[in-house]
Amino acid sequence: MGRLRRSRTHKAQRDIHRASRTRARTKDLDQIQLIDLDPKNRAALEAQPLDFEKPGLAQHYCVECAKYCETDTALRSHWKSKVHKKRCRALKEPAYTIEESERVAGLGREGKRSTWVAATASTPSAVTAAAA
Amino acid sequence: MRIEKCYFCSTNVYPGHGSAFVRNDAKVFRFCTSKCHKNFNRMKRNPRKVRWTKAFRKAAGKEMTIDATIDFEKRRNVPVRYDRELVQTTIKAMRRIGEIKKRREHAFWKQRMAVAREKRRAHRAKKLAAKSTSVKLLEPMAVETSSTEKEMERIKVPNKGRSALVRGDGRSMGMDVD
Repeated sequence: MGRLRRSRTHKAQRDIHRASRTRARTKDLDQIQLIDLDPKNRAALEAQPLDFEKPGLAQHYCVECAKYCETDTALRSHWKSKVHKKRCRALKEPAYTIEESERVAGLGREGKRSTWVAATASTPSAVTAAAA
Repeated sequence: MRIEKCYFCSTNVYPGHGSAFVRNDAKVFRFCTSKCHKNFNRMKRNPRKVRWTKAFRKAAGKEMTIDATIDFEKRRNVPVRYDRELVQTTIKAMRRIGEIKKRREHAFWKQRMAVAREKRRAHRAKKLAAKSTSVKLLEPMAVETSSTEKEMERIKVPNKGRSALVRGDGRSMGMDVD
């Protein structure tokens, strides 16, 4: 007897695989937080020249989500959406970067004091452990 | 030889191992395994929120973050001419530092566990206190046993000990010859 498998197990797998392709890659959180959210860059992104390649001629851009909308109403409803609010919440805390991954691993740079110390100096348990 | 660090879990990535992803702004993300790569690429998880990564453990105060023994590893972009003496002393120092680090980590862990134990005890005591005030145990009721016991007697089925498995019981499936 062959195996019995439930049907309908591939819910939206195609879409996930499509979205994870490198050519469909969107901006990462650290790129948005460190570059795009800067007021000058933000203004430039929100007032882009007409671009026939982009959705809605690149006139309705959401900076936080790095997303082009077709119309102004679409953009407005997007701002009210859960996806956008979630993204804004994620952008409030500092983004994880390559530097942080190295710092956490204990790899410092020569001639530089590790910035991790300054970030976590307030935790009392760590301080006492270091003293012990 | 340069030993890189995994972007996701911060372990060492030795030459010839793991994979790298170069973003279109020329940032190089290195991964120790396909697991870490998938977590970054497909799942887009934040390493600070995934419990098995170094980033989580450090951010949550589960490991030492401030210690002199951690600060020795450095990325140097200026090459140093090979010197036998220097290598020997370095290796000696690495061993010694490793020992010290291990001891300090153990002390840190012990302290952390002590705090956790206290916390757990307090939590248990609190829970128990809450339970004793909110739940009232009822007295067991007196039940007239006489009638129910009689009922039980009547239901009981006598066991005649007949079985198909036992031969010569009159019910066997064997080919008995009269």
